[in-house]
Amino acid sequence: MSPSATSRAQAARGPAGQLRTRAEEAASVLPPLLVQAQQLAGAVLLGEHGRRRSGVGDDFWQYRPAAQGDSRRMIDHRRSARGDLQYVREREWQIAQTVHLWVDQGQSMRFSSDRNLPQKVTRARLMGLAMAVLMVRGGERVGLTGGRLPPRRGNMQILRMAEHFTSDEDMTPYAPPEHRALIPHARALFLSDFLGPFEELEVALSKAADRGLRGVLMQVLDPTEEAFPFAGRTRFEGPGDGTIHETLKASALRDRYLDRLAERRDALERLCRAAGWTFGIHHTGDSAQAGLLWLYHALERRT
Amino acid sequence: MTMIAGIGFASPWLLLGLIVLPILWLLLRAIPPAPKRQPFPAVSLLLGLKDDESLSDRTPWWLLLLRMLAVAAAIIGLSGPVLNPAQQEGGAGPLLIVMDASWAGAPAWELTRTHIEAELTEAGRAGRPVALLRLTAPEPLQFLAAGQWARQLPGLLPQPWVAAPEQVASASEMIAAVEGGFDTLWLSDGIAMAGRAELVATLAERGEIEVYETGAPVIGLLPATYEDGAIALSALRSSGGLAQEVTVQAVGPDPSGTERALASAGLRFDTNATRAEVQLALPMELRARISRFEVLDLRSAGAVSLTDDRLRRREVALISAASSDEGLALLSPLHYLRQALEPTAELLEGALSDLLPANPDVVVLADVARLAPDQEAALVDWVEEGGLLLRFAGARLAASDTARDAEEPLMPVRLRIGGRSIGGAMSWGEPKALAPFAEGSPFFGLDIPAEVTVSSQVMAQPDPELAARVIAELNDGTPLVTRKALGQGQVILFHVTANAEWSTLPLSGLFVEMLERLAVSSAGKPPSADALEGTTWTATEVLDGFGRLRDADALAGVPGPDLIAAPAGPALQPGLYTSGSRAYARNVLREGEEIAPAVWPNWVPVMRFEGAEERPLGGILLSLTLVLMALDVAAALLVSGLWSPARVAGLVLAGGLALSALPEGTQAQELSPVELTSELTLAYVRTGDAEVDRTAQAGLQGLSNVLALRTSVEPAPPYGVDLERDELAFFPFLYWPVTGNQPMPSSEAYGRLNAYLRTGGMILFDTRDADLALTGATSPAARRLQQLALPLDIPPLEPMPPDHVLTRAFYLLQDFPGRHPRGEIWVEAAPPDAEQVEGLPFRNLNDGVTPVVIGGNDWAAAWAVDAENVPLYPVGRGFSGERQRELSRRFGINLLMHVLTGNYKSDQVHVPALLDRLGQ
Repeated sequence: MSPSATSRAQAARGPAGQLRTRAEEAASVLPPLLVQAQQLAGAVLLGEHGRRRSGVGDDFWQYRPAAQGDSRRMIDHRRSARGDLQYVREREWQIAQTVHLWVDQGQSMRFSSDRNLPQKVTRARLMGLAMAVLMVRGGERVGLTGGRLPPRRGNMQILRMAEHFTSDEDMTPYAPPEHRALIPHARALFLSDFLGPFEELEVALSKAADRGLRGVLMQVLDPTEEAFPFAGRTRFEGPGDGTIHETLKASALRDRYLDRLAERRDALERLCRAAGWTFGIHHTGDSAQAGLLWLYHALERRT
Repeated sequence: MTMIAGIGFASPWLLLGLIVLPILWLLLRAIPPAPKRQPFPAVSLLLGLKDDESLSDRTPWWLLLLRMLAVAAAIIGLSGPVLNPAQQEGGAGPLLIVMDASWAGAPAWELTRTHIEAELTEAGRAGRPVALLRLTAPEPLQFLAAGQWARQLPGLLPQPWVAAPEQVASASEMIAAVEGGFDTLWLSDGIAMAGRAELVATLAERGEIEVYETGAPVIGLLPATYEDGAIALSALRSSGGLAQEVTVQAVGPDPSGTERALASAGLRFDTNATRAEVQLALPMELRARISRFEVLDLRSAGAVSLTDDRLRRREVALISAASSDEGLALLSPLHYLRQALEPTAELLEGALSDLLPANPDVVVLADVARLAPDQEAALVDWVEEGGLLLRFAGARLAASDTARDAEEPLMPVRLRIGGRSIGGAMSWGEPKALAPFAEGSPFFGLDIPAEVTVSSQVMAQPDPELAARVIAELNDGTPLVTRKALGQGQVILFHVTANAEWSTLPLSGLFVEMLERLAVSSAGKPPSADALEGTTWTATEVLDGFGRLRDADALAGVPGPDLIAAPAGPALQPGLYTSGSRAYARNVLREGEEIAPAVWPNWVPVMRFEGAEERPLGGILLSLTLVLMALDVAAALLVSGLWSPARVAGLVLAGGLALSALPEGTQAQELSPVELTSELTLAYVRTGDAEVDRTAQAGLQGLSNVLALRTSVEPAPPYGVDLERDELAFFPFLYWPVTGNQPMPSSEAYGRLNAYLRTGGMILFDTRDADLALTGATSPAARRLQQLALPLDIPPLEPMPPDHVLTRAFYLLQDFPGRHPRGEIWVEAAPPDAEQVEGLPFRNLNDGVTPVVIGGNDWAAAWAVDAENVPLYPVGRGFSGERQRELSRRFGINLLMHVLTGNYKSDQVHVPALLDRLGQ
């Protein structure tokens, strides 16, 4: 296919298609994500899609030669009788997990300090969708929090999620985390800058913890929000309706701003620790790949 | 025009605008510069933070001051300020402007003219009729409107003389011819003038007199003289006073004919002295070239001293047939000539064949009858080119058969056999005296002393042309001195000896004067008026008032005595005069003259020119406003934080660094010959296309690395050659990437390239287009290569034959790919008689290295590596591509081996034959 044909095809698929293409590109280099089933007792749903590894399940997976340590009852005699070796019949591991995604689409996320940097929301959507792709490929059920997109399997879900991510209709300055319609004992991934009111996050996280959800909070920040490289008389304008702070000497504010940022981060980490969640930071100046890898490991971590 | 503090204002009411300044101050102070707007989502974290320092949100005072200054400058600038505004002066009725207009006023002529212009403008405003009178060139007075004179003003120039009494008298007459009263404005040059007092009295009768002078002393240069081996220069000034130093330059043509200062000397007037002197010792050659002396930075005819041939000493070659005999010095034919010429001329003695190449001005042959034919021919040539041959008779000449039957080129007349002797012991009659010199003779005007007698002489054959050739004769009519022109020169024969044997002429002063008149010797001192009696001089070049030489168009001739004695005037303008072959420089000042300051009656007001002139200040103030406003923009940006001081300083620093780095960048490649030759250096021709040059540099670097790795050749880092500047001889090998728009090298560069090719250098031309121009199609680079190579000395070429030594100089190759695989390569054609050697795969090819290799495979790109030795450009695809790169490297090695070892590998083919002959 010639390049022009490709771009035509992309254009035909619209922004959702493009976002999905990019997310799949970003996800293509990772092995399928295997979300660990933590609460085997509660939340295990046996799906028809195997995990492509041996384990508990109905479907035949493979015969393997019996090794030392295998109990004798595991030996499959029908297969072993056809030769001299003894074989063990293994079944495919068939466990599906539910993962809830929440990507902050508020106005505070639509910010980039430099033309060469992506907006925070763009980066957060990309990483969230990449995770979704990985998880769907691994057979998990993925959905958005809040019941707008209940967890489902399959590539259609990725498309729906991508479509959902392309709408910029959320005009809330600082969007509160969506904590409705959470499936108990599932996993959750919250991507936001967490610069909004802290109480709402506390409520959301405590509610999630009550339901036995474990998950990851990832704070996506712009480099200027981390470094505060301003000086002189400056009027800082917040998102939306205009929370405004004017200063005569911005450079004098720097240290106190950084203190407050660190404070906020401490609070977030404390909250995560209390709820059994993992907290991570990502800057739009860094590569999405690094953030995705971190997310992959964080979601796979057995806690 | 209103005056405030010495400054006039065209529209002073505009100054009222200054009142608004305090109001503006208050307004601006209350309006601080706008803050910078910064979208920032994390503002939620900032809420509630207070500024530590209570910074004022007022505009800083210095910014206010800057703005106030800008506004004030604009207001004042618009009100039209003028420094030193012209003052109105009263006066009515006609105005006469009298100018000395002599050379002394030339240095300040611009000032004088400006002053007259101002006076004319003023008179024009007042409606006064004006007349102008130049005393050096008086013309009848015409009272005209000032505007008419203003138009003629540029044509009024100072004259190179001072008004003589008769000119002053004629000026008085012209003033007398005018009726009615008038005021007088006298612009004086400040030097004395005969009849000034009378003229002042005449003018005072008609009205008021006002005199303007510059007040600076007038400086003049006296003619230079030659004394005791040095040039003596003296300068005069009109009044004593403070010590003063002037520089005098000797100006003349340099060997290429351009006028330039040949030497300079400082002249110092001591306090109260009016005369300064200096000695200037110069080599003769330099001295002879001096055409004038002038005081530096002083444009005046008086500050120029022209030189004639008095400073020049002629070279006279003295040749006599008689061998010098110490015992008989007084009888030597040359003794009296030596005595007469020594003070004023350089004497050369020796054989004619040795002296002629020195090209003397004069050759004197004393009693030489015959010359060798080749010497004679050389002498004739020399005379025809302007030489002066002076011959003296003598016993040998009388006895020889020189010019007996036919006229000889080097003899003005035919001679009779034997000559004659008169008044001797064995003859009748008295020794003959000289007849007075006829008019038209160069000697005309010389006094003939009575004691000069001639007792023997050679006689001229009567001839139709004889009369015209005689320039001096005895009182019985027999020729004594004859002359004829030969080419541009002349041949002169004294029919007597040069010693006192035949006549008493050499003993007398007349002899010296005659030699001077013949320009055999040049006088060391200025001739006296008497000595020039009877001569007429015509001006060739004359000075104008500013001391510039110009052609004397059709000035009448000047009698000799006047030239010396008369003061300069319209009839005798200072300049260069010639008479026959003699030249005389008449200067403004003569030796013995003084420059006296002008003396005015007490009641005449003498004023100085005003130094300060009207000067509008509006433009300066308005531009100051603009500058201040620009500063204000920068300062406002600085205050509002859009510009940080560090950033500005960084920009300034970066700019400075970039500027200082620029020359460094161009010099970075400069290497000394020692550095270039201590190691083998591969070189490429810089094409001017930065990309191509970088590739060539990287390519040669890659080739150098490969060479160092695989062979014993370890080249230094490659060098980019600028064909216009660099010496090529240091490089055995030049890589020349050809671009389509490369400039043609200059002809000097081609000269160097051809020398390079002839002395064993090799150029690899790479058109880099083998992928495009495979099938005989042409490309811009190939066309450019044809143009570039046209002036080069390139032998016939052929596509590389399979048995060329390049195919086996190091590696065995049959293919020479670069980035493009299969372009054809052209090398010097094998000689037509190359033969296949029996039993060998190669022909017996020529010696030597092919001077050019032409191809288009873009080898540099295939060789190019970066600093980590990683190839820069992809070649081919996959493994076959790497193989192609390897082959291109091998080609590079083969090429360098061919350059460095020549046909060494070609010789190897003879090894079997050699071994065979050795019986092995």
